[in-house]
Amino acid sequence: MAAAALCWALRAARQVLPSPCPRQVRSYYVDWRMVRDFKRRKMAYEHADERLRINAIRKNAILPKELQEVADKEIAALPRDSCPVRIRNRCVLTSRPRGVKRRWRLSRIVFRHFADHAQMSGVQRAMW
Amino acid sequence: MLSKQKDKSAASKDSSPEGVAKKQEDGAGTPKQQLLDIIGDMKVEVSYRKKLQQLKASESKKQAMAKLEGPDSEGSVPQGVTEDTQRGKPLNPELVKAASAVASSLPRNKKQTESELLAQLRRHEETTDEQKKGGIINIRNVISEMTIKRQSPAQRGTRTSRRISLQLDEYDKRLRRERSSALPMDSRRSLKVGKRLNIFTKASTEPEHALKTVSSPTIWDLEFAKEVAAVTAQPPRNGFEEMIQWTKEGILWEFPIDNEVGMEDDAEFHEHIFLEKHLEGFPKEGPIRHFMELVICGLSKNPYLSVKQKVEHIEWFQKYFEEKKELLQEI
Repeated sequence: MAAAALCWALRAARQVLPSPCPRQVRSYYVDWRMVRDFKRRKMAYEHADERLRINAIRKNAILPKELQEVADKEIAALPRDSCPVRIRNRCVLTSRPRGVKRRWRLSRIVFRHFADHAQMSGVQRAMW
Repeated sequence: MLSKQKDKSAASKDSSPEGVAKKQEDGAGTPKQQLLDIIGDMKVEVSYRKKLQQLKASESKKQAMAKLEGPDSEGSVPQGVTEDTQRGKPLNPELVKAASAVASSLPRNKKQTESELLAQLRRHEETTDEQKKGGIINIRNVISEMTIKRQSPAQRGTRTSRRISLQLDEYDKRLRRERSSALPMDSRRSLKVGKRLNIFTKASTEPEHALKTVSSPTIWDLEFAKEVAAVTAQPPRNGFEEMIQWTKEGILWEFPIDNEVGMEDDAEFHEHIFLEKHLEGFPKEGPIRHFMELVICGLSKNPYLSVKQKVEHIEWFQKYFEEKKELLQEI
């Protein structure tokens, strides 16, 4: 989760690479939904430790229940975007929310496009 | 050399009874010249014939005794002495006397020649002793004493080329000989010489000695540096340069692969596992203690967190429970 957020940050960086590279350099997000998703990821990364600890107190059979109820209220008070459940694994290039393969972070259409142009390493048309 | 000695011994034997007067008459001209030639040509002999050596030794002893009895025969004494030095078995006092006589007879630096002769005698003695014992003659010791004639590599190259330009029959033999002779020399010379490449040892990052006078480089300096790098960076000419570029960018790992790149946890294992010392701020009994012990058990099994992070974890809980103290006391 943290790694994904970091990768997204790198990808959206507006720095020119020090060496001239033939790849496309995008200096923008594809759409606003992608921007919001990026914000959610960032916030989830920031609050991850807190959430983990409060949840450890909540999901417990040892501690008194009053304490757990207080913990419930506390976690609900955290910003809504800090929960990891709101993150959607969108396609990195087209921001498509569905049909995204997790390994490549690409939607099926983009994946097919690149694979047919032999730009996906180790990907071959299946035939058996 | 051996035949020469035999002739000499024969000649000396023959001449010993008669030639005393003759040699005196000649003025030791020819025998002296011969003596000088012999001394000039003197080489270290490494012969493996024990019997011959023993024979010569006995002969030399007899001759030494015979010649030393004749006081006036300067010419004959040096001859016998040279034979002795050449065969030289035990460093007899007779031989020492003979050596001193030889040195005195020579026109050159007497003490130097005497010392050289004695050194030669000693060497002979060593070699013969080792042969007697049956031990292997350590040629290296012998060679190390001698001065090595060092040829320049250019000369060596020309020598090989000259040899190669000879007949085809001897081509292979000479090449092989040259190679076999050259290889041990090279390996002896160049195995442990030269800078270490640090391929397989962790290259120790030398501390930067050059201190920057400016505390921090300005933005303009950074921009200028970036511009220069962008202009001078040529596209990679081959796969190797491409891989170098990738390694610099961080795309490619450094080989040999270091499993602990980026991981700079200096803490020992016991600091990861035995975390009970951090539990001092908590009450010793009760559900909270129970809960914290479980937390510590889980942390001790976690290989992904550093010691710092684990300590922070525990401290967060401590802070949290302190804030909730009033609530806890109500319960």
